[in-house]
Amino acid sequence: MSVLRPLDKLPGLNTATILLVGTEDALLQQLADSMLREDCTSELRVHLANSLPLPSTVARPRIDLIVFVINLHSKHSLRKVEESLHHVDATFFLGKVSFLVTGAGRESHCSIHRNTVVKLAHTYRSPLLFCDLEIEDFRATMAQRLVRMLQICAGHVPGVSALSLLSLMRISENPSLEDL
Amino acid sequence: DMQAAAEPADSGGDGGPPQVAGKDAARPEDRMTLLLRLRAQTKQQLLEYKSMIDANEEKTPEQIMQEKQIEAKIEELENEIEDVKIAFEIKKLALDSLLMDNMKQILNLNKLIMKSQQDTWDLEEKLLDVRKKRLQLKQASESKLLEIQTEKNKQKDDLENMENSEKIKTIQQNLQREIQITTVIQHMFQNLILGSKANWAEDSALKEIVLQLEKNLTTIQ
Repeated sequence: MSVLRPLDKLPGLNTATILLVGTEDALLQQLADSMLREDCTSELRVHLANSLPLPSTVARPRIDLIVFVINLHSKHSLRKVEESLHHVDATFFLGKVSFLVTGAGRESHCSIHRNTVVKLAHTYRSPLLFCDLEIEDFRATMAQRLVRMLQICAGHVPGVSALSLLSLMRISENPSLEDL
Repeated sequence: DMQAAAEPADSGGDGGPPQVAGKDAARPEDRMTLLLRLRAQTKQQLLEYKSMIDANEEKTPEQIMQEKQIEAKIEELENEIEDVKIAFEIKKLALDSLLMDNMKQILNLNKLIMKSQQDTWDLEEKLLDVRKKRLQLKQASESKLLEIQTEKNKQKDDLENMENSEKIKTIQQNLQREIQITTVIQHMFQNLILGSKANWAEDSALKEIVLQLEKNLTTIQ
C-alpha cells in the first residue's frame, strides 16, 4: 500500500500542488477551475482523486496540500474519505491536510451530522472548512482561501510555515471543540 | 481512480499577461524580482526540510500510550509551540522598539546635520556678498579718486592758463605801475614831512601817517 508522504520529493520551482480528494466529481472540478482562475504568483497544479491510494504509475509532483471534500448529503463520501485517510502519512497532518465540508446549507438533505465531521477533523488535528460548493460566490471565496493556504504549505510565503498556519487557524476555532 | 487534471495556472511576471513562456522575455527588473522571490521560496522550503530532519531525530517514546494520553501530550506540545511563538513575538517587539529608538535618533541627528550645513551655506553666501560689496566699493573709491585727481589737474591747468593769459599780464603790469607810483608818492610825502623838520614822533596823527608810509607795497603782489 502506497502512502503519501509530504517531503519525499523535492519541490518544483515556483510550483504548488494541491490534491482534492472526494467523491463529488462535478464539485471538485468546479472548485479546481475556480482555484486556477485565481491570481497567483506561483504556478498552481490541481490534482483530483476519488480516493486514495493514488495509482503509482503516474508521475506526479510533490503534493503540498491535501483537501478531503465531504458532502454532508452523502454517507458514501464520508466513508471514502475515512478509507483514504489511512493512506496518508502522519507527517502530512502537520498543517498540510484540511477537510472541506459542503452541503451544510440544506439541513433537510444532510445525512451526516455536523458533529461527526467536527470530531473527524479534531481527531486528525486538521482545520475544518465549511463551504457550499454549489454556490459560485462561496466557491470562489473558498478557492481564494485554498490558494493562499496552498502557497503557505508549499513554502512560497517567507516566514509562514504550514505548521504556524495550523496553529493560527486553531486559535480561531470554535472553543466548544474542547467539550468533545 | 485518479482524474489527471493537472492544469497549470499561469502567472509568470508581475501583473503582466499571464504567460509561462514570458518569464524569459521579461524586463531585467522583473527577472530580478522573480529571482528574489524564488530565493525566498527556496529558503523557506529548505527551512521546512531542515526542521523535519530535526524532528525525526527526536526519540519517539517507546511505550504504548493510551489514546487519551496521546491527546494530552499533543495538547501539551501545541501549548509549548504557542508559548514559544508568543515569546518570540515579544522579543521581536522589544527589538523593534530598540531599533525604532535608534532609527529615531539617527533621523534627528541627520536633521541637525542638514540644518547646520544649511546655516554654513547661508553664512558662506553672506560672506561672498560682503566681499563682493567691498570690491565694488574699492573700485568705486578708486574711480572717485581718479576723478578727483583729474579735476585737480584740470584746475591746476586752468590756473596756469589763467596766469598765462594776456589779461592777467596787463592787469599785473598796471598793478606794478600803480605800486611804483604809490611808492614814489610815499617817498615824496616822507621827504616832505622829514624835510619840514617837524617833530612827527610827538604828534599822534603825524606818527600814524609816517608809519603808514613805511609800508612796503611790493608785498601786495
